[in-house]
Amino acid sequence: MGRLHLAPQALVCKNTILEGDIRIGNGTVVHIDASIIAKNGPIIIGSNNIISDRVRIINNHTTPLVIGDNNQIETDAVIEGRGIGHKNVVQVRGKVVGTSTLGNNCVVGVMCETEPAENVPDNTILFGNPQSRRTRSDNNAEYLEVHNKHLQYVHEMLPRYNAIIGAE
Amino acid sequence: MSSELDSGSQLGVLYYCPCSGCMRTTDAPVKASKQKREFAELAEECRAPLDISTQEQLAVLRTWPIEKLYYCDDCSEVRCPHCVIEEPAGYHCPNCTFDVPTASVRSEKNSCARNCFHCPVCTHVLVVVVVESTQGDGGQSCSVLSCAVCMWDSREIGWEFETSTGISAQIERMRTGGPAVKEYASLLDYWRTVQRTASATAAGNHGLTSSASFKHRLTSAGLHGSTTSVDNLPPYKAACYVDSGAELTEDFKALEDANMIPFNGDPRTKEPQRVRLHMKLSRRCRMCHHILIKPESKAHNSRFKIQLLAANFLPTITFPKTLPAPKARGSLLEHLNTTPLRVGSTAPVVLRFTNPLYTEMDVSVDVGELDAAQTDVLAPRFTLPPFAELWEYDEDEDDSSLASPSASSSGRGSVKRGIIHQHGNQIAIQLDVTPRAQTQKLTIPLCITCTHLDDMAEMDTSDTSTPRRIVNTFWAYVSLGMVN
Repeated sequence: MGRLHLAPQALVCKNTILEGDIRIGNGTVVHIDASIIAKNGPIIIGSNNIISDRVRIINNHTTPLVIGDNNQIETDAVIEGRGIGHKNVVQVRGKVVGTSTLGNNCVVGVMCETEPAENVPDNTILFGNPQSRRTRSDNNAEYLEVHNKHLQYVHEMLPRYNAIIGAE
Repeated sequence: MSSELDSGSQLGVLYYCPCSGCMRTTDAPVKASKQKREFAELAEECRAPLDISTQEQLAVLRTWPIEKLYYCDDCSEVRCPHCVIEEPAGYHCPNCTFDVPTASVRSEKNSCARNCFHCPVCTHVLVVVVVESTQGDGGQSCSVLSCAVCMWDSREIGWEFETSTGISAQIERMRTGGPAVKEYASLLDYWRTVQRTASATAAGNHGLTSSASFKHRLTSAGLHGSTTSVDNLPPYKAACYVDSGAELTEDFKALEDANMIPFNGDPRTKEPQRVRLHMKLSRRCRMCHHILIKPESKAHNSRFKIQLLAANFLPTITFPKTLPAPKARGSLLEHLNTTPLRVGSTAPVVLRFTNPLYTEMDVSVDVGELDAAQTDVLAPRFTLPPFAELWEYDEDEDDSSLASPSASSSGRGSVKRGIIHQHGNQIAIQLDVTPRAQTQKLTIPLCITCTHLDDMAEMDTSDTSTPRRIVNTFWAYVSLGMVN
């Protein structure tokens, strides 16, 4: 049942846990020790995402878990919801729990969580301890430039030091 | 198991400072005879008919762990944080670690004059980033303050800066360029001219320059008919503000209704606040003004030029869990201080004294009066060897084991009863504690007297052959935890 479909330019390390029905788009990088487990339903990951080490993307629902494009999911984050949009950042140990979704241009701060069943609107920032949220007022214009540089760097350096799954 | 853990976490030793905490700078440094008197007074205080809980409650204000105490070697006395004078030794910004000279501290109102600001939303420190400008035709880069935690931007309040340095100066320029400030400045100029003209014409009459008599002189100055009288001055022309024709309102609200008026708040709370400077403090003895603590004034350097701590002059008392046995026995003295305390049963408590000095120290331990427990100090007087390199120490003498306190050792000479272990500059002694009542926290007061010879020659006296004896007496409160 485990079908893994990698786009030609996707960069997935061998030391990852990939189970179930997974599709990974062009340019996406999956670092070491990440787990993408499509337990009850498929996981569809878009293009140019950066999925860092120790990230757990688990689909406990039968509906597909959809991750958009240009997201950055940092170390030890957990994505268990129904999906996230584009250009989001889930920071270190941030969590998208339950059946929640993230819109576009959101930031889940360090060690911050979404509510168990909410659709976080676009441009929302979750931050702080105790956690609070606010809406960003810029249009996230500077994000892509830095993100693409990051992607470029990783595509260059990661294969030198880690075993990569050959694309089919 | 849990009772062991509980009693372990409650074990502690606090040292008592007999200062009254007030400014007694006229008092002379304490001499040895006065110390004896103080000791007698303290002993009286302890034997006074106060129960231990009240005593404990009062003493808590004056007891400190030894890490918090200082020692004045001029007065040969312990100083606590209440009896030292603190003064600033340097100012720095906690964010950019820039050492601020004392003169600038006052002028910059105790804040960092560079790019250090707090985010108004999350109070994190702001970073200067270069972004595309929203004003003009776009494509121009400008610097803004931005927060990495909550993504707040200074563009939200309209702050955009040309250069990335000297943000504070640019903010000041923005503030002073506003219409209100310009209007105020021109008003001030106008009325100063009026005042000068009025006083020039009225100089012959009264020579008064008070503003209260302004109107009077303005009307009366015209009678003298000088060419440059005040009436000839042109009326004031508003620099920025235009008269909008608003009228005074007749609608007065009562004081009780004041809560209903909407209050938008101080706009300054939406603005980033400057980072406040931190001080480095140096501490002096309250009696003789000898410097006890002097830190390096540079922010990045966390050392101290002068550091007179109580732990460097008084023995440190700790509760060891295990003690290394000498090579002869080859075993480890374990599970010390783990016996749970019960009413009526005698438990051995091991205290370890560490000598920080380079000279020998004679220690005598006396127990204060205590109703809640009876304490036997098995070794009331002993000598702590000086602190030296490890290879200089003699062979260890492991003395009486816990089972047979009166057994003589097989090794050298006569052994002191009650000394469990001796290694280097440390001695572990045993106290037998028999609690008499149940309590949450059993605290035993011990009066400890340390005597040592001063190894530094006296500056004043010409007679350097007899080094003086320094006697320090202090009370230590030993907490032993719960008694069942």
